[in-house]
Amino acid sequence: MPVVQGDTVVATLGSPIKKNRLSLRFFHKKETKRALDFSEPAPDEPKTGEPVDSCDQVVPCPPSPSLLLSQEKKENLLPFIGFNNLGNTCYLNSVLQVLYHCPGLREGIKKLHSLCKNKEKAKDESEKAEESAPPHIDLLCSFMSLITSVEELQSSFLLNPDGFTEGDLATPPRKILNTLRSLNPMYEGYLQHDAQEVLQCILGYLHEACDTIKKEQELEKGKHAVSELNLENPKTSTEEEGQVNGKRKSDTEAGNAKKKPKSVPSKAPEGEKESGSTVQTHPKRKCSTDSLIESAQGKDGGGKTAKETDGKRKKRAKLGWLRPSKKQPSIFSKFRSVGRVSSTTGKDRGKEEMEKPEENVEDSKEITLDTKAEEEAPKTDGTKEDHSRVWISVNIIIPSLVLRDHLFQGQLVLRTRCLECESFTERREGFQDISVPVLEENPPSPEELSEISPDPKPELKTLNWAIGQFASVEHIFGEDKYFCETCHHYTEAERSLLFDKTPEIITIHLKRFSANALDLDLYAGLSKVNTPLQTPLTLCLDEWCTRRSAKGHTYELFAVVMHSGVTISSGHYTAFVRMSHLQDAKLWTSGDQRRKEVESEEQTEKRVKEEAPDYDDGDVAFSRAQTGGAMAKTRSKKASEGVGLLGGQRSLSACELKQDNNSKATTDGTKRRKTLGSAAQSIETGLKKPPDSQEATEMQTANEKASESHALGRLMEYEGKWMLFDDSEVRMFDEEEFLRACSPETASSSTPYLLFYRRTPKQ
Amino acid sequence: MATHHRQNAAGRRKVQVSYVIRDEVEKYNRNGVNALQLDPALNRLFTAGRDSIIRIWSVYQHKQDPYIASMEHHTDWVNDIVLCCNGKTLISASSDTTVKVWNAHKGFCMSTLRTHKDYVKALAYAKDKELVASAGLDRQIFLWDVNTLTALTASNNTVTTSSLSGNKDSIYSLAMNQMGTVIVSGSTEKVLRVWDPRTCAKLMKLKGHTDNVKSLLLNRDGTQCLSGSSDGTIRLWSLGQQRCIATYRVHDEGVWALQVNEAFTHVYSGGRDKKIYCTDLRNPDIRVLICEEKAPVLKMELDRSADPPPAIWVSTTKSSVNKWSLKGMHNFRSSGEYDNDCSTPLTPLCTQPEQVIKGNLFELCLILKEVPVLSTVWLDCLFFPQACKGEDLGKVEFDEEIKKRFKMVYVPNWFSVDLKTGMLTITLDESDCFAAWVSAKDAGFSSSDGSDPKLNLGGLLLQALLEFWPRTRINPMDEEENEWVIDITVDVSITILTFQ
Repeated sequence: MPVVQGDTVVATLGSPIKKNRLSLRFFHKKETKRALDFSEPAPDEPKTGEPVDSCDQVVPCPPSPSLLLSQEKKENLLPFIGFNNLGNTCYLNSVLQVLYHCPGLREGIKKLHSLCKNKEKAKDESEKAEESAPPHIDLLCSFMSLITSVEELQSSFLLNPDGFTEGDLATPPRKILNTLRSLNPMYEGYLQHDAQEVLQCILGYLHEACDTIKKEQELEKGKHAVSELNLENPKTSTEEEGQVNGKRKSDTEAGNAKKKPKSVPSKAPEGEKESGSTVQTHPKRKCSTDSLIESAQGKDGGGKTAKETDGKRKKRAKLGWLRPSKKQPSIFSKFRSVGRVSSTTGKDRGKEEMEKPEENVEDSKEITLDTKAEEEAPKTDGTKEDHSRVWISVNIIIPSLVLRDHLFQGQLVLRTRCLECESFTERREGFQDISVPVLEENPPSPEELSEISPDPKPELKTLNWAIGQFASVEHIFGEDKYFCETCHHYTEAERSLLFDKTPEIITIHLKRFSANALDLDLYAGLSKVNTPLQTPLTLCLDEWCTRRSAKGHTYELFAVVMHSGVTISSGHYTAFVRMSHLQDAKLWTSGDQRRKEVESEEQTEKRVKEEAPDYDDGDVAFSRAQTGGAMAKTRSKKASEGVGLLGGQRSLSACELKQDNNSKATTDGTKRRKTLGSAAQSIETGLKKPPDSQEATEMQTANEKASESHALGRLMEYEGKWMLFDDSEVRMFDEEEFLRACSPETASSSTPYLLFYRRTPKQ
Repeated sequence: MATHHRQNAAGRRKVQVSYVIRDEVEKYNRNGVNALQLDPALNRLFTAGRDSIIRIWSVYQHKQDPYIASMEHHTDWVNDIVLCCNGKTLISASSDTTVKVWNAHKGFCMSTLRTHKDYVKALAYAKDKELVASAGLDRQIFLWDVNTLTALTASNNTVTTSSLSGNKDSIYSLAMNQMGTVIVSGSTEKVLRVWDPRTCAKLMKLKGHTDNVKSLLLNRDGTQCLSGSSDGTIRLWSLGQQRCIATYRVHDEGVWALQVNEAFTHVYSGGRDKKIYCTDLRNPDIRVLICEEKAPVLKMELDRSADPPPAIWVSTTKSSVNKWSLKGMHNFRSSGEYDNDCSTPLTPLCTQPEQVIKGNLFELCLILKEVPVLSTVWLDCLFFPQACKGEDLGKVEFDEEIKKRFKMVYVPNWFSVDLKTGMLTITLDESDCFAAWVSAKDAGFSSSDGSDPKLNLGGLLLQALLEFWPRTRINPMDEEENEWVIDITVDVSITILTFQ
């Protein structure tokens, strides 16, 4: 076990390389830790070989970590929580950050989740295990747990800012990643994914969850009795969350890592290798898996009925793997939405133009596909709404249930106008984002430019231009004319896309990835267009709307997902978010946490017992390593070597290290995980509450109350500021700085990829 | 009713036989009228119908039946016509992608020009030079010397033309000044492109319209241009200054037709909103609502027998053509009763047309698009002419009649039907024509020996049609294009049902 502990440290420490500034700080302030970070065999070996208590010696854990922190450092820390990279999960992290800071979404999720929970409570828990729990509820719950952990972390930081080092302010979105993976096997492994796809995916599942809950609510009410729907799972998740929140990175990771292998029963060798851990650095993977599993077994990350969950998870994972999920976005779908590399000239041009309609149609089809579920849903909703109006509570529920409709979903109208009689037909379809080009498909020919009448010079493309292109009129002509019902004749026609209903938040996806026809390799073939596109802070959609709306079509930029890199399969996603609605932030008091702790501790224990023997699949070896130190030893060596090579995540630092120390004292796995840190650590985080640190926590509670308002005030300072979320790292940007970062002048490979605009309330 | 038949096979290396079910003499327009031309010398009006027929009418009001003759050779909408050589020659442009040259006096087709690759939408004529330009959806503009065209014979039928290139989008309108020095095209590109037809040189591009340009006019010396667009505006352009000098917003919807007086001071406009206005170009506030049609206005032709013009002919998407008197205009002008306030609705100058050239009242409804119904109805028509002959259905409900005659026979689609010309056109395609086999019993045949042979509907129909064909000739010109066109003229009498 000690062996494993040592490994964990190394594994979770992530990439010290990533930011020199940070690493240096580690050198200065936490020499011992630094040693753990960088010196490969030396720190590992003594640890692995040493008895349990040796750890305490290794890390001279300071009673109050705040002493370690210089004033300067404290100033640098921002009260916003990053997400740890779990192995190429920057695509998910950036999207989650945006969603988390999305005005209205968090509240909606909370409401939904509480509905979901209430139902659970009303239900007899023993009745029917969670077999039928819809998987998308899982996603809702994991999202909720993420929100909770972020909020808790944030509030504990605000209440006690001294207790945090830079790496602490991050939480791994492990649970949601796991859920996502079980829902959509595409996200298995550590491949890079497209941020837009994952966004669509999450929104899709959330909506499904909305519908399910809504239906259940109605069903329940209709029956005046316990619902038939088994949502054991959500509750489990809630409890898991409690724990996840209550602990911190290491706990969560371990807890989830334990679950993870199960969700990936027996996959391709690659999957097997990866399945063990969701820790960042690849070469370390095996090692860290060991440790994680071990710790997981020793102490549970969450959940109570492990067996059940496992069974279910396995089942789901298998199902997910087998069934060709309709909603599953694939890399191939990129081809449809990618910007086109226009290399066509002369002859080809006509052809290309003729293809264009098709392409657009496909685009719209894509939208339809994505929203299919939702489109169906509102239909049933509509009828049910009437039907269930009797139930008062249903009316209360509805606002949150249609959450996503209002937030992200708008409606486009596809208008086809016959050029002969000028009558038009319309088709409406929902959309969640719009994909706009960044390049002109057919750059004007020199001949064209030299024409007598002056043409406007080609200039920097603006977002408005891009939306204009998206909504541009498409000409149906040539061989494939349009059959006009009025003319009874094949005529030329124009097809245009207009916004019929605009959502509260409009997501603009820049088609930066273009398929290079010459490249046959799908992944390599998607090269990136780094052409800058002027991104305005405010956006007006009036031009493309079918009608005026009372709410107006003015939007302001509130988040940007940036992509840096040259292809779709390589690169890095980061997210800029403009802080808003900070006054709504809620501080989690330690009282809340304590309650949770108690609850979760019981469950964990139970769970651990049940789960421990459940290990199978590719993880058998790792479980063994738990007992035999030798194996782990070699692995840890490997792993630590890998750190430097692969980089990864720098974030999990102090906490992990402390955990390491403490764990030695607690042979019981559960306890080890629980009592993650010393007393100081627990104060610092406000999330842990090991028995010995109870007094400290109480003290903290008192302080909290006094400083709560102050803390909120501190938070408010950041209102309107731009934050860059680079996985676990958070940096503040001035508006100018931000604009420069995504402005066209700095033509770099780091370019805005997804733009999020939210409706500006009318003055 | 007798059915005429016209076979025309077209298509790429694909044999297609189509025939039209119609009256032997189609005296009335069956469909909208795309273009009008007046021959002031003979007092004749030419109408270019969407029913593919160009008709000649007498405009003498006292005459009982204004119909004079039909000129039938096109197989699709006739989109534009111009009268050249003082009314001797008529040139027509059609959606069958051809331009045809007609002897306007005798009403026969002199030659067919097949240079366009898509619908030919517009023609322009320079009187002083006897030059005609044609343009269409293939973005091409061809210039034709009318004297060469009329001199074409069967043996010497090659024409050289010059073409104007540069258009990026489908052309919907074209204008050339009388002197033949300037040609303007309007397209979905929303710009006006200007050439010099003498040198084929591009002169300029005029931007301003926000939608398709559907109508164009040039003054005599080619210095000013009027354009009517689907964006609902009329614009006056100075070609010398290369810019728009005035924009007139008199219509609520697209402007599809324009006419102007000789002095280029008053523009007559009509369009999708069915209204016809006269607007003073120098003072746009002075405008008169002349009349309101019942359908969108496709074309107008001023009666220029006097100045100011005494009347205007108007064609719409409906089959009738109306002549509206403009005599009241004078009173308006003198009394100063202009409409200076554009917000109040105008009262039309005329409520009743001065003269009407009636169209065919019988406009086919499109229930016939449903093929199962069609199959059986047509079975009746095709195979049991006797049963239908002389049967006066009177005024029966179409639906009921269909129901009564409806026999569900499931057969594969073996022919297609279209109504683009306003007349039923049945097309048998090589690929699926012989796909339909039915048992004789199902088809309603009874055989004496009680056997039930399988019949091929397509085969039977072709047999019935071709039995009476006196001659089949292959058009040599088409052969060059690898198209196999059978041009067959025959007189088959098939009685069909008509639904009124």
